Amino acid sequence: MSRVSTHGVPEGTRYELADSARRRGNVLARLHRLYELWGYARVELPVLEHYDPAHPREPQSFKFSDRDNRVLALRSDFTPALAGLVRHSHSRIAAGSKEPLRLQYAGRVWHAIDPDLARTREFTQIGIELVGISNARADAELIHLARESVRVVDLVPRVEIGNPGFVRALLRLSEIPEKRHGRLADAIDRKDASDIENQLVEQQLAPDLRAAFHKVTELYGRPQVLEEARRAAPWEETMRELDRLEETLAEFEDDSELLLDLGMARRLSYYTGVTFRAYTFDFGQPLLGGGRYDGALLPYAAGFSFGLERLMLALPESKELSRPLVVSLDDAVSRRLRTAGFVVQRALTSDVDAARRDASNRGIPYLFSDTLESLISDPPDKDLLERALNSDDG
Amino acid sequence: MMGEKLTLALPKGRVMEKGLAIFQRAGLKIVVADSSRALRHDAGDVILIEMRNRDIPTYVELGVADAGVVGKDVLSEMESRLFAPVDLGFAACRLSLIRKRGDIGDLYRVASKYPNLAAEYLSRIGSNAEVIKLAGNVELACITGLADAVVDIVETGSTLQDNDLVEIDVILRSSARFVVNRAALKLKADSLRPLIANLKMAVEDQCG
Repeated sequence: MSRVSTHGVPEGTRYELADSARRRGNVLARLHRLYELWGYARVELPVLEHYDPAHPREPQSFKFSDRDNRVLALRSDFTPALAGLVRHSHSRIAAGSKEPLRLQYAGRVWHAIDPDLARTREFTQIGIELVGISNARADAELIHLARESVRVVDLVPRVEIGNPGFVRALLRLSEIPEKRHGRLADAIDRKDASDIENQLVEQQLAPDLRAAFHKVTELYGRPQVLEEARRAAPWEETMRELDRLEETLAEFEDDSELLLDLGMARRLSYYTGVTFRAYTFDFGQPLLGGGRYDGALLPYAAGFSFGLERLMLALPESKELSRPLVVSLDDAVSRRLRTAGFVVQRALTSDVDAARRDASNRGIPYLFSDTLESLISDPPDKDLLERALNSDDG
Repeated sequence: MMGEKLTLALPKGRVMEKGLAIFQRAGLKIVVADSSRALRHDAGDVILIEMRNRDIPTYVELGVADAGVVGKDVLSEMESRLFAPVDLGFAACRLSLIRKRGDIGDLYRVASKYPNLAAEYLSRIGSNAEVIKLAGNVELACITGLADAVVDIVETGSTLQDNDLVEIDVILRSSARFVVNRAALKLKADSLRPLIANLKMAVEDQCG
């Protein structure tokens, strides 16, 4: 039985009405500007893609066929799409040349899932990628921008940083068969101590390595936790991964908003270097996530992305409304006010009383017929408006 | 001394009582008025919210509660990715495949409150039986012939005996887990870190 939405749009999609669309636009503009100031060039990508069975989000993508019965998919994630752009238009980087390229994007993506409280089928992704380079300075730049992305929308950031290479090194040292790595890494990522124990119980392990697997669930917190990690896992392979994290952290003058989590082990075969997530206080879900995925889609690549809808939920209720400031019957005055940056709507009637009634019903602060008239008590920007009206340069 | 006040999600009933007892042994001061029918209690060191078992992962996932207590069975059925740092040990049970005594034929229909785990198990053993999702008293499906087998929780096994049912295979061993919201573990580490350590100790004391 299929459920039919009563709102006129498919389940898991929604209309963004004027106030919300305006707020979303403002947030996007701030993020785009931040990335632009750091030299990330904006690119646009097609919504329609060739179907690719190896796509990381293949199970969740909307698929359909075109007239030639070729299978197409709706864009389900910007990162693989952007990797496609790099392969097509920056072939040297795609072939392994080390030339840093900074790109940013934003747009809708679609997931063919059963929508629930936290997930919709259509949402807006915004993010950046820094490709063609792999070093600690590049990782630090992305982490820094992750932190700034939260700050630029007036939230207080906390960024947690991990390195799945650490868990991967432990797994390699353990000689546990590779087909069991996924389940064990998953238990580590969930810090599920009893699940880890159940999985290790049948494994032959050196006592110090067994202890390290248990300790890793507790290796999170302030950057000092690196020292604890070095004591718990003093092997060359694990040390190398901790060195890389330390090198990244050394790029920060102020690390007070950074947290480490050495148990981060999600998508172990995809992420090859640092991974990170940004949080803010009093909001239970990560705002953005990303990391380094060298060799997965491109030889050298790292980036992060936001879901705009979730970010909007984390922002405080806004009183910012989408409405004009003035309704005007005088086109010359309207022109002068718009030049000064005010939003002015033309009255669609020449009857002053009707125009006043209409503007007043819509909560618009001012009417201009022969003079400026306030329609609400304590209207905004009064002095600025009057100055614009009395200036001679109109 | 604790940092910020935590919000804990607990299931109604027996698990709540045992959960409160173990939190108290772990050093939390929790006071709940016995007669209270409120769903949200400002209970000393923590704020408690009471709800159905299966709603707990949702509340903790979205961060409405910082942490909670819920069975491993529910977490597995929902494929939850919550942090689950402590096995609290109580509410131990197994999720099993159950049939009427003497039934040995192929499986065509299996009823369960755990459709995902049931389907995953059936596919693992190479069965293509269909799964029927039921809301409660799942054994009844077996007794009445609605299904050839059920996948359900077994605690002591007495219900099975009373109804002439047999536990064929254990799919999963479950017990109550302390689960923590991903952001809260990081942002309220001052409260949660010591609580996790103390809960682990409280569980060990109990076992040892």
